[in-house]
Amino acid sequence: MARRQGRGFATIEYPTGMNQNGDPSQAWIKLKPDGRVDVFAGTVDIGQGSKTVHTQIVADAIGVPYDWVTMDNSNTDSSAVCTGTFASRGTFIGGNAVRYAAEKAKERILEIASKELEISADDLEVVDGEVLAKGAPDRKISIPDVAGAATYVYGELITGNGTALKPLAELNDDDGSVTAEPHSAISYAACVIDVEVDDETGEVTVLKMTQVYDVGRAINPTLVEGQIEGGAMMGLGLGLLEDAYPRYPSVEHRGEQFGAYLAPSLCDMPEIDNVIIENPSVDGPFGAKAIGEMANNAQPPAIAAAIHDAVGVWVTEMPATPERVLRALQASAEPRLDGKRVIFDEEISVAAVSADGGEGFWGVDA
Amino acid sequence: MKAVGARLPRYDGIAHVTGRTQYVDDVRVPGQLWVKALRSPHHHAAITHIDTAPAEALPGVHAVVTCADVPHNVYGHLEALGVPADEPLLADGQVRYKGQPIAAVAADSEAIALAALEAIDIRYEERPAVFDIRQGLDPGAPEIHHWGPVYPHFGPHNHRRVRKGDVEAAFDAADTIVEGVYRPQAIEHCPLETQVSLVVPEANGRLTIYSCTQAMYFSLGVVSAHLEWPLNKIKFVGGTVGGGFGGKVDTATETVCALLAIKSQKPVKWRFTREEEFLASSTRAPWHVEIKDAVSKEGWILGRRTLTLHDSGAYSRFSPYGLTKHAFHHTGAYTIPAVSFDGFVVYSNRVPTTAMRGFGVTSVSLAVETHLNRVAQVLGLDPLELRLKNANRIGDTTGNRVVMHDPSTVAVTLAAAERVGYELGDEYRDMTSERRTGELLPEHLAGQQAPEGEHLIVHSATTNGGH
Repeated sequence: MARRQGRGFATIEYPTGMNQNGDPSQAWIKLKPDGRVDVFAGTVDIGQGSKTVHTQIVADAIGVPYDWVTMDNSNTDSSAVCTGTFASRGTFIGGNAVRYAAEKAKERILEIASKELEISADDLEVVDGEVLAKGAPDRKISIPDVAGAATYVYGELITGNGTALKPLAELNDDDGSVTAEPHSAISYAACVIDVEVDDETGEVTVLKMTQVYDVGRAINPTLVEGQIEGGAMMGLGLGLLEDAYPRYPSVEHRGEQFGAYLAPSLCDMPEIDNVIIENPSVDGPFGAKAIGEMANNAQPPAIAAAIHDAVGVWVTEMPATPERVLRALQASAEPRLDGKRVIFDEEISVAAVSADGGEGFWGVDA
Repeated sequence: MKAVGARLPRYDGIAHVTGRTQYVDDVRVPGQLWVKALRSPHHHAAITHIDTAPAEALPGVHAVVTCADVPHNVYGHLEALGVPADEPLLADGQVRYKGQPIAAVAADSEAIALAALEAIDIRYEERPAVFDIRQGLDPGAPEIHHWGPVYPHFGPHNHRRVRKGDVEAAFDAADTIVEGVYRPQAIEHCPLETQVSLVVPEANGRLTIYSCTQAMYFSLGVVSAHLEWPLNKIKFVGGTVGGGFGGKVDTATETVCALLAIKSQKPVKWRFTREEEFLASSTRAPWHVEIKDAVSKEGWILGRRTLTLHDSGAYSRFSPYGLTKHAFHHTGAYTIPAVSFDGFVVYSNRVPTTAMRGFGVTSVSLAVETHLNRVAQVLGLDPLELRLKNANRIGDTTGNRVVMHDPSTVAVTLAAAERVGYELGDEYRDMTSERRTGELLPEHLAGQQAPEGEHLIVHSATTNGGH
């Protein structure tokens, strides 16, 4: 009886946006008379920091300091449509909506500046809150002066709006083929988990997680790390602890309080090593891809692989509780061989559990 | 200074950690009533009798609603995407899971509301229940819905399917066939903030809905559909959520509160207790995934057959969407030229399952990654080299004929190996994601590759508007 260490790997991918698309996000922007920027969008910040990320995108898309930008996502009267904060779509699709709106507002800024400077808008650029003549930066006007002139001289409101929408991808129900890409950029991640398994109690302890995420472009690396580490803990819960029906197949005795439902807590948190890779997407804001949802997907299989590396058994029903690990150790079942077939997990298959050998599910082509 | 790429602090971080953020339950409106719901005590039962009059007669009770009060009671979250509705807002004659809401009360206090629930006269006739979806198609299995045990609307099929390449030939040609079964479980979303909303009937006839939804416009659509009201009569106020993780895509309390606010003409608030959040609100779906891989002794995955069962719980909700997404990604980060996938959304008498972080794909990651490790074990190959060999490359196509244009399977796998000092063979260490050529383009992978120059799909994200 001993504590045995093991290491497991997993590599995963995850799409951005609703599957098959058709999920718009819209935003609009107005400038105050002193050049400060108001952004209105319906994208809910669920704690991941999308409002901060969107503000960063707008600041750079126009070319003004970050603290000039205020974002209001508080209600459906002042904001336009956002399908919602799910499907890992906040930074990419919501972010594109505010980016497009900012680019439109910037065009209006350049038009007004062009009148004030008497220089073609094509020959102007925006740098740090000022509109400069390209190649002659001493000829310039500040964005506060542009906004003031728009309001009080030209009688105009500088605005911009944008919609990010990829049209619905049609799906062939017979073979699953699609006529257009059914999602936006795909993100990738790899995860290495080191565990210690007590082969007497079946208890598994995660010692370290090393995780690599390709997020295209980290708009805010601190918030990316927040997603990686928060997701890592959710993945640890999936791999080792949580079960809404812990006595399944009985559905009784469910945890109804935090004290009875085993969600991971800080004392379960291992050392976490984060690596961010930036392989830019072709059409995300500043090359960004998604990070949100995928962050809890790689840990359960990496944990299963690490348990196998440590004690030589596969746990394929999650979570890998001490009971499941011990049962696997006691059974120490080798896969069944049948000709060139190598058959794992036969006892939990549809064929074994259903009354008709799984024919109803496996036989749809018959 | 460039803002993009900067480690700027979260705009709401200080407010959160100093307790100054205003969540929905912090909003106080004078004269507000409290809501409680009568929930099914049975997993599956007919409602043979219900009389709410004794509850309505209690002092301090201002309104009681049942399915008879809902203008459009059965509304599907995904009707716009062609997923027909099957879930009543309030149960109508039958309950299909323990905790299903049947009636709701608005009263001066939560205690009075609870007493009113006790006063409702209701009788049930229990029915047999299904909890193991593997037995969902068994002859004589209890009937949950009259149309059958599985969601039937994947075009002409009762299952989502993917077919690509010659799977029979791949299995005939295989040196080894590796078969495994993977069962990720149901889990709770566990938000610190339970489901909550406050609905204020305004003097001008509008409703203001303070909501913890993750998707204000989505929930606005759900409430307006149930009420059969135009969008401009309802204002959602939100944008600050005390934890969502997918569970707050369900519009759990807003519509019932709206009905009670309209009926009582008073502001009403419904906040789930922690027990309701754990026991009656939705969970992540449990899945059942069976994979059979046809592999060569060199470590090529020639073909794959997959059977996936998705436990939908008592109603379809988002499950058909989640299963379709699962189907689109069922080969993981790898290229397999011949696939046959069948996936079923199977009903059970568990609480309805819903969206949760990684929806549809968390199950793929567990199944595919564990299965690949087993393939490596069976063949006696290095598990990372197996991944790198079969990795998505530029120009590869998925089972759904999606062409890869910026895959990073190779990049992230190599970076992880380097970070932990894992030794790889020479031919793997310098691998890139460039188009397959030479030894990385064996005969079985040649046909799946998109023609040169067509690997970049121009994304069609559109902009509109101007000033």
